[in-house]
Amino acid sequence: MTNSKKIGFLVTGLLMVAGFLAWIYQYKEGLVLTDMRNSYSWGLYVSGLAFFVGNAAGGLVLSSLIYLFGVKSLKPFAKIGALTAFANVTAAMFSILPDIGQPIRLYNMILHPNFYSPLIWDVIVLNLYAVLSLLYLYILMLPDFKGPLTKIALKVDQPKEFSETWAKGLAPFSLVAAIGIHVITAWIFATQGGRDWWNSAVLAPDFIAVAVASGTAVVFIVSLLTYGHKYEHQEAYRSMAIIIATAYFIHIFFMYNDFIIHYWYGAKEALETLSITFIDYGLTHAFEVVAPLAAVILLLNKKIRQSSGVMIASCILLILGVFAHRFLLMPAAFDKIQLSMNPLGLQHIYWSVPIASGRYDPFIDTFVTKWHYFPSGIEITIFLGVLAFMCFVVLVAMDRFPIAGEVES
Amino acid sequence: MTRGMVIDLEKCIGCRSCVVACKQHNAQPAGNWWNRVFTPGSNHHLTPPEKGEEYFLPVHCQHCRNAPCEKVCPVGATYRHDDGSILVDFERCIGCRYCMAACPYGVRQFNWEDPKKTMKQYEYQNGYSYGYPRDFRLNGRLVYMPSRFKGVVEKCNFCVHYLDKGLDPACVRGCPGKARHVGDLDDPDSNVSIMIREKNGFNLLPEKGTEPTVFYLPPKRKEV
Repeated sequence: MTNSKKIGFLVTGLLMVAGFLAWIYQYKEGLVLTDMRNSYSWGLYVSGLAFFVGNAAGGLVLSSLIYLFGVKSLKPFAKIGALTAFANVTAAMFSILPDIGQPIRLYNMILHPNFYSPLIWDVIVLNLYAVLSLLYLYILMLPDFKGPLTKIALKVDQPKEFSETWAKGLAPFSLVAAIGIHVITAWIFATQGGRDWWNSAVLAPDFIAVAVASGTAVVFIVSLLTYGHKYEHQEAYRSMAIIIATAYFIHIFFMYNDFIIHYWYGAKEALETLSITFIDYGLTHAFEVVAPLAAVILLLNKKIRQSSGVMIASCILLILGVFAHRFLLMPAAFDKIQLSMNPLGLQHIYWSVPIASGRYDPFIDTFVTKWHYFPSGIEITIFLGVLAFMCFVVLVAMDRFPIAGEVES
Repeated sequence: MTRGMVIDLEKCIGCRSCVVACKQHNAQPAGNWWNRVFTPGSNHHLTPPEKGEEYFLPVHCQHCRNAPCEKVCPVGATYRHDDGSILVDFERCIGCRYCMAACPYGVRQFNWEDPKKTMKQYEYQNGYSYGYPRDFRLNGRLVYMPSRFKGVVEKCNFCVHYLDKGLDPACVRGCPGKARHVGDLDDPDSNVSIMIREKNGFNLLPEKGTEPTVFYLPPKRKEV
């Protein structure tokens, strides 16, 4: 085991332990340890769900591109794609777990599911996707199981042909499932007429666009760490750069398309959500647009693609931008009181009904109209633990399983 | 039958007795309020507006006919009773707070920590406690309990534990101005239906399509 691998295991391992302990502590004390309030009831954990679900996309979209659209140059990365898909979709589920006030009662989702709730659809489709990506990975690895791993190999006469046939057969389902997880995760938010910021028909297509960009970037990073910037992969890297760039520009189009429509009409409710995003969180918004843009410009440059380091940095920049985008799902939804009105007889006043904070503090008002949420130390520790878990799964699998196998022409 | 409520803003004197009655009868922990009375236009809670004449707006669960909270609940912990009111089963709630994100009225409250602990923060004398003291089950479902679990959502339950005893909700009984009325919205001759029809009853946020069963009658004094 190389030193860098050891450091990787150590860092992710420590962060996972820290995150787990923080969760235990939060479970004991309650969600009072977070910075959420009654008025701002979802925070980093739910942003984390959307973030990891997005990162899970690349994998299977990539795999299906290979088998459905015949982009052969991407073939050496199919296994990495399936692996990052599995790691991220599992991380998405772990990210939402600490948000649950009564995690022990999660069995109620099986005993008493309400099939009208988009959250139930999401739980079903995320689990399905996790199983599917694992199955996909197994089938792709089948011809390469050697040594002790032959014990877990399915006994077939011609593993190579078997693997090829089944990978091809699964590809369409994978594509549908990959699109499904983004659409349904987006529907959790977009169906809510009570929150103007989310209630948009463009949210689901936009989730797909963001996911294709960030998911491919995750595959890109792992591929670069595994193979470096070898000449024979330049074609594949070019393809990935183009996929990321196209998806990013579609995302920007979807997002600003929505903003412009609302800004032009100028309804107070919409202007308020826009001002939260553009003024209160102006820097974060600038970052979510500019950081991925810089990354895309770099990745599209042929010379840049000669350096693994710069490509990895660009992908990380893009993913950070996407994370900022996911974080911004919440402020404009929760920093705005939905029950706002023009008080009778008073012109020029748009008045928000305060909401009980849910916390008792002898020194501050119980009722709030605005809560400037910033994740608490516990929330950040748990989130980093989940992020570390995702990296750990990728590291372990790359170390133990024939995923980085030699390239065939 | 659809049990509905009418709040006559002309009659409301802003004493907030309903807020207190609700808080006490339903044993709400520190920081959580199922019912609030606002002074629209004021800069600070509980103060009159700087301009214009003051009026009062009580807000609690609107028991919507098209209730987003009921639809989003993944486990059916928030559900509709036969009389149309929306209830929360404290034993079933997993605490995902999707209903809080879904509610446009901001009436849903979460138990961020153990309510027993938050009650201690009030430092009541001699361990004074308040609230209807017994659990109440409706067809087996725990819709009222004096001390809620940590990590579950709570909100106005239309005093379902009193309805069982033939009593009106605490806020209705506790209103000194007789501003609150309950009745059958499906019956055109009921007290509430007549008031809504004859006094221009309105809903909050009608544009959200939630179809609340709580109606307000406009106040006459609204001149600046």
